[in-house]
Amino acid sequence: MTSYTICVFTENTIGILNKITTIFTRRRINIDSLTVSETERKGISRFTIVIHHESREAVEKLVRQIRKVIEVLAVFGYLNDDIVYNEIAMFKISTPIGAKPLDIETINKVYKAWVVYWHLTYVIIQKTGTEEEIFEFFDYIKPHEILEFVRSGRVAVSKSPQTLVDYLPEAEWEYYQ
Amino acid sequence: MEFNENQTQTIQAAEPAVAVAKPELINGSHAVIQSLIAEGVETIFGYPGGAIMPVYDAIYDYQDQVNHILVRHEQGAAHAAEGFARTTGEVGVCLVTSGPGATNLVTGIADAIIDSTPMVCIVGQVASHLLGTDAFQETDVMGITIPITKWNYQITYADEIPEIIAKAFYIAKSGRPGPVLIDITKDAQQKLMTKPFAHKKCEKLISYHPRLAPKEDQVAAAAKLINQAKRPFLFFGHGVQIAKAEEQLIKFIEKTDIPAASTLLGLSSVSVDHPNYVGWLGMHGNYGTNVLTNQCDLIIAVGMRFDDRVTGDLSRYAKQAKVVHIEIDPAEIDKIMKADAPVVGDAKIALEMLLPLVKENNHEGWRAEFKKFDVIEDQKITQPELAPTTEKIKMAEVIRTLSNKTKGEAVIVADVGQHQMMTARYYQFKKANSFITSGGLGTMGYALPAAFGAKVGAPDREVVAIIGDGCFQMTIQELGTIAQSGLPVKIIILNNNFLGMVRQWQQLFHAKRYSFVELQNPDFITIAKGFGINGHTCSARENLNDSLDTMLASDKPYLLEVLVEKEENVFPMVPTGACVADIRLE
Ligand SMILES: Cc1ncc(C[n+]2csc(CCOP(=O)(O)OP(=O)(O)O)c2C)c(N)n1
Repeated sequence: MTSYTICVFTENTIGILNKITTIFTRRRINIDSLTVSETERKGISRFTIVIHHESREAVEKLVRQIRKVIEVLAVFGYLNDDIVYNEIAMFKISTPIGAKPLDIETINKVYKAWVVYWHLTYVIIQKTGTEEEIFEFFDYIKPHEILEFVRSGRVAVSKSPQTLVDYLPEAEWEYYQ
Repeated sequence: MEFNENQTQTIQAAEPAVAVAKPELINGSHAVIQSLIAEGVETIFGYPGGAIMPVYDAIYDYQDQVNHILVRHEQGAAHAAEGFARTTGEVGVCLVTSGPGATNLVTGIADAIIDSTPMVCIVGQVASHLLGTDAFQETDVMGITIPITKWNYQITYADEIPEIIAKAFYIAKSGRPGPVLIDITKDAQQKLMTKPFAHKKCEKLISYHPRLAPKEDQVAAAAKLINQAKRPFLFFGHGVQIAKAEEQLIKFIEKTDIPAASTLLGLSSVSVDHPNYVGWLGMHGNYGTNVLTNQCDLIIAVGMRFDDRVTGDLSRYAKQAKVVHIEIDPAEIDKIMKADAPVVGDAKIALEMLLPLVKENNHEGWRAEFKKFDVIEDQKITQPELAPTTEKIKMAEVIRTLSNKTKGEAVIVADVGQHQMMTARYYQFKKANSFITSGGLGTMGYALPAAFGAKVGAPDREVVAIIGDGCFQMTIQELGTIAQSGLPVKIIILNNNFLGMVRQWQQLFHAKRYSFVELQNPDFITIAKGFGINGHTCSARENLNDSLDTMLASDKPYLLEVLVEKEENVFPMVPTGACVADIRLE
């Protein structure tokens, strides 16, 4: 199974999420993670969708079907090597009096994670990185009691020097200036 | 606070618009109708109800400009719109209420998307402040129709109406056509627009760019493969008629002398008399076209999508052949068949670009191979079907006699089942845009409503619906629509007292276990008479000629029931999962 990151640029309209995800559902493709937000261009959203699939061909067909959605401006399918990508995770760690203290130096220096909130009985640690990096840290911190753990979807940008406007057909240039 | 405000506004707007309006401002409902008129719509197929009543109120004022046909079930409206679109190439329009009105359209919308039929469905919705409250007749039609529309949109402000309707027509009709659904809340229909009405046709969208002219290098690559091929074989589909490319297709096959075969929906694009026409492809298609698919060295697919009813077992389908695929929808390229030379664009433009690049050729020897198979098929199947020794009438005889009497020039609307396949096999189409049937979805009940839609679209042509006894009962109530509108649609029921096609499968693949396929039928003629439509039953071969003459001579709608052999099978047949070359003759 290979991991694919699919970036979809759409008009930011009501129901577009549904229009996109139903394409996956219908083909029985599970979405591992999905992140959507408005881009630097007003009215244009960017979806970052991660899936696993054994067939590149099937992913290419999927991309073409997504491109058919009227509100979709552009779709790109990437392999991990083509992109720079990250997730963000938060860990709520129990710190009762008398428990083994957290090794903040290791957390910061080795794992590049930061305590972002202190409470009397717990702390919240934030860590950005790839899925692997986040789970490495998860394993490290596990001996302390994890009260809550949350991970965002992947965000990704391609390594190609192009920008969104380059991807859009030339005639649309003006529209987004 | 906000709700209260909304409600008062709604109530105010429900008053006659003129009382409160500045003269130049119209309400949403009038904007709907005026937009439709501006898009050139002359006929609307619809059914009223609570959430669309403001629009119905508006239509009342425009009866001299638009013709509204009241169907008996919203599914009928959808199929009628399809029938209209398929004869005219224009967009068919449906108008229905929210909830059950909208859900009744669903089958027709699903049918339209898979058969690339342009349609705009305008659906009422509960008032916007009630959205999501499970209000009376509220259904999430947007959610329901996402997978079966080319585009859908919910309008909640009157001001949006002209622009969205213009967009709907553009999307429905351009590129690969398809159904579009516009859901309009009741308050958007009632409220006044804040600016004077102006309708501008949509010609371009930022995110949707159907490619019409293919890239030159793609065309050149295709031409090269075509010129090199020794045994090229052209398949044409619905895309040819959608692009109105029949003339270019004929020029192309004549110049290159390539044999050409049709998909189910491609039928009638090329006359059966044309020397390069070799028949119909797929499950119940012709013997030679199927077998030789596995012997050609090049397939030139024009406006078709390699449906599984055409290909049979893909792993044993045309493995030896290279593929040129001319197709407007890029998502179809490589979807089923890998294309060696994809040509993305409109079939007409693509063929026009190809014509000067392809060599004049002579493929007489290769074309003659099809003839050999025709001889076998003719002996084993066609002749026994057309000149049977059985007592009961056979479907094929009825179709062929009709074909002769109408000179192959009628618009034929077939429903779904054995009679459909028999129609495709035995009607000898001579004129383009003559065969209308539900291909991709195989929707029983399609033909009766599609036939009156077709008659609206082609009033000067003879329109004959050919329907099985099972199918007829799915939309039988549309007899009422036909009667009321007085459209002289001719209807033939081929009555075998069975759900024949299912019975055939049970016979062949389920050891004759006829599970729930026998029908207790009503007296169809009495039913038709009840609706005010004349008809009669033909049960003997010697009466068939006269029966058809009587039907065709009628200048009113007419129902002819023909009692046909009960357990007849459609052959040839490529059973599902079998290879096209293993097509069975018995
Ligand atoms: C709505 C719908 N339900 C079920 C089917 C499955 N089906 C395909 S053909 C057929 C039988 C059609 O019977 P009839 O109209 O009598 O035609 P015949 O095959 O006998 O010519 C059925 C049930 C279908 N295509 N559509």
